[in-house]
Amino acid sequence: MQPVLSIEQLSKTFTGQAALRDVNLEVAEGEVHALVGQNGSGKSTLIKILAGYHQPDAGASAWSRGQPLTLGDGAAATAAGVRFVHQDLGLVGTLDTVDNIAIVNGFDTGPGRRIRWRNEYRRAREAMAGLGLDDFDVRAPVASLPPAQRTAVAIARAIEGWERGASLLVLDEPTATMPGDDVQRLFEIIRRLKARGVSILYVSHHLDEVFELADRVTVLRDGRKVVTTETSKLSYPDLVELIVGHGVDFGSASTGIDHAVMPVLKVRGLSGGGLTSFDLDVRPGEIVGIAGITGSGRESVLPFIAGQRPSDAGTVELSGVSLANYRPDDGVANGVAFVPAERARWAAIAPMVVRENTTVSDVKRFYSKLRLHRAPERVEVAGWIDRLSIKAPSAEAPITALSGGNQQKVIFARALRMSPQLLLLDEPTQGIDVGAKDQIHQLVDQAAADGVAVIVAASDTEELVRLCHRVLVLANGEVVLELAGTDVAVDRISHAQLQSARRSS
Amino acid sequence: MIRKLGFDRFSALWLLGGFVLVFGVASGDKFLQWKPTFLGILTEGVVGLVLALAFLVPLTTGTYDLSVGRAMTASIGISTWLAKRDALPEALCVVVALAACVLIGLVNSYLVVKLRIDSFIATLGVTLLLDALALYIAKQVISGAWSDTYLEFGRTKLIFDIPFYVLIVFILMAIAWYVFEHTPVGRQMFAAGGNPDAARLAGVQTDRLVTGSLVASAVLGGFAGTLHTWKVGTYENSVGPGYLFPAIAAVFFGAVQFKGRPNVWGMVVATLTLAIGVKGLNLTFPSADAWLRSLFNGLSLIIAVAFASRSKVIKVPKRLRSKPSAGERTPGVEFASAGSASTN
Repeated sequence: MQPVLSIEQLSKTFTGQAALRDVNLEVAEGEVHALVGQNGSGKSTLIKILAGYHQPDAGASAWSRGQPLTLGDGAAATAAGVRFVHQDLGLVGTLDTVDNIAIVNGFDTGPGRRIRWRNEYRRAREAMAGLGLDDFDVRAPVASLPPAQRTAVAIARAIEGWERGASLLVLDEPTATMPGDDVQRLFEIIRRLKARGVSILYVSHHLDEVFELADRVTVLRDGRKVVTTETSKLSYPDLVELIVGHGVDFGSASTGIDHAVMPVLKVRGLSGGGLTSFDLDVRPGEIVGIAGITGSGRESVLPFIAGQRPSDAGTVELSGVSLANYRPDDGVANGVAFVPAERARWAAIAPMVVRENTTVSDVKRFYSKLRLHRAPERVEVAGWIDRLSIKAPSAEAPITALSGGNQQKVIFARALRMSPQLLLLDEPTQGIDVGAKDQIHQLVDQAAADGVAVIVAASDTEELVRLCHRVLVLANGEVVLELAGTDVAVDRISHAQLQSARRSS
Repeated sequence: MIRKLGFDRFSALWLLGGFVLVFGVASGDKFLQWKPTFLGILTEGVVGLVLALAFLVPLTTGTYDLSVGRAMTASIGISTWLAKRDALPEALCVVVALAACVLIGLVNSYLVVKLRIDSFIATLGVTLLLDALALYIAKQVISGAWSDTYLEFGRTKLIFDIPFYVLIVFILMAIAWYVFEHTPVGRQMFAAGGNPDAARLAGVQTDRLVTGSLVASAVLGGFAGTLHTWKVGTYENSVGPGYLFPAIAAVFFGAVQFKGRPNVWGMVVATLTLAIGVKGLNLTFPSADAWLRSLFNGLSLIIAVAFASRSKVIKVPKRLRSKPSAGERTPGVEFASAGSASTN
């Protein structure tokens, strides 16, 4: 039987950097085929080319059931019957299942464009029943559904009319942000699909999912295909080895931390948001990294300490002062500076100019004799622009006029000018070009050298290795590995992340 | 600082000059007179100005307070009611009325800050509750019975026959301008209005600012009511809401003046410009009065804001489209009807 998808010699180069190099991939009829690899291995690029968001480099070719398929063309992929459920499910939360299916697949209308609601409801119920969800409430807003059911709605929508020429369902990290119980429910749905003969390309970080669901697995590393093999012929450690490879030992930060010095930060029993009873001590001048895959609790640590989100339990003590829960102002007043993830949403204050964005955490400094003195404010901000080599038309330009990297440097200036005791960096170089990234790393080094305690949470493992004296790896809300000094290495962190991705349920 | 008096940032000043010129010529001698034209504009305009300020204060923190119009009614009603029923000293009545407005502000802020109700909805709800209060007071108070003390105070004049309360209002504007532009609190309010989440993470106590601004707006609304009693002296349950929309219009008209964000002097100039325009129209066309004011206010607001947002309009040049030949499939049609789960 001809494969539902076969790709040959697929390469993709982004401005000099190769994301994919001569990748071949073949998905057989009716199989669940897993695609795995670390961040930056090329998984997402491959999926995006298949979906038509990126154009492949010349020389690639592809077939679907023997018919030539144009890569990098969404319409061609759709015509060939490739259906996608992306990590962002693309559902409208306020609408119910009926509407969410119909807005994409079309409404069944009668005379005068009247919607045949009775048909629509039956169709939605049947679609959900086809996934094993009988008596599903198709009228509930999808935002009110548990994660596995939301994903099920997206899958139901994608595979509607499967028998009419569909060939392949692509599931892109469907469990990335899902709690364990929901994952099991989703697995049942996927097994049911498999029993229906639906061919699936399954992208995931979770290796246990690969062993549980997939017939075959393709491993990507650094943009190259390492191997395609049957999962039954692999052991768990084999797969980890294939994914990580025998990576070179990256140079890591020095270990000049004096352990006689008392910790400045003491975190005890921090819980909530996927994190269970998290403890951490950080000494002045120390840079501690928090690693873990999405959903491991990594993304909760800094928001809890900084007060961005309320924690369920636990204490945070800075230099003996207990910080109030969910009170960023308390943190700022006591020497915490926080650079949050997702700059546009949580850090940049859009209509304000660079100067105002820089000084917002402490404007009082310029207030004396009943006036806000802008002259010293301008001088100080000019100093920061110079020191951090921020490229801005002027200090009076709106912050949105700057590039992402320069906006991030403004947020760093905001944090550093507070002369903090504790600097919290959540995904500090997300979406930033390489040059700015390096400058930001130097700023972090400098801050630590000045005696600031630093915590970095990042999904970019190499960044943690570059910066940190010590790295904690989280999985399922708990610290599974702590590395320090010369032990901090990309492959060890990656190993721990992947192995700990086994789910207990 | 002012490099160019462009129409986008200074439309109110241009309009102001234009009105004085046009109506000065069109209506002969009647328009260009201190008394009654300009003095009338000042004395009539101050109530609306204070109510506009009441709306402006929470708006800087990104919060709507629609209840300021009814806070004004409540203030007039309570002070009148107390003075009539209990024969309390008028000054005390006003203090009690303003204290009641503090309470209104606290209720608003409880709904917005603690219960996280959208400020537009919360203050709309409170407005309706105050409607009920206004009508209830109307049953209790027979209008007209009111001591002359306030009317007399209202007639106290400064130089050029300017009433004393006009000075009070402009002092109020100056204080507001000072707080917004020359104190850390003002800067923090604009930060909270720009991106409340980011401002909060940067250490700004956004909840406290919203609470404070909602109390301030209710008290300012109440003070607009006090001004009204100084001028008119009686309670009428319909007074208050009528001032709300023109006040909001002045705030948004003013927000595109000078700075491109809500600001006190932009609001003052916008209010006076609109008042002068209406006055000129009334003098030039004495027969058309009531409807002309709204028509004029509406057009001025839309035109001024349109000029200020001109830079945001994206010009899309038309592309030549070649028709697909028969039999050839148009890409995109298939895509739109297909079962792709996500299009992003």
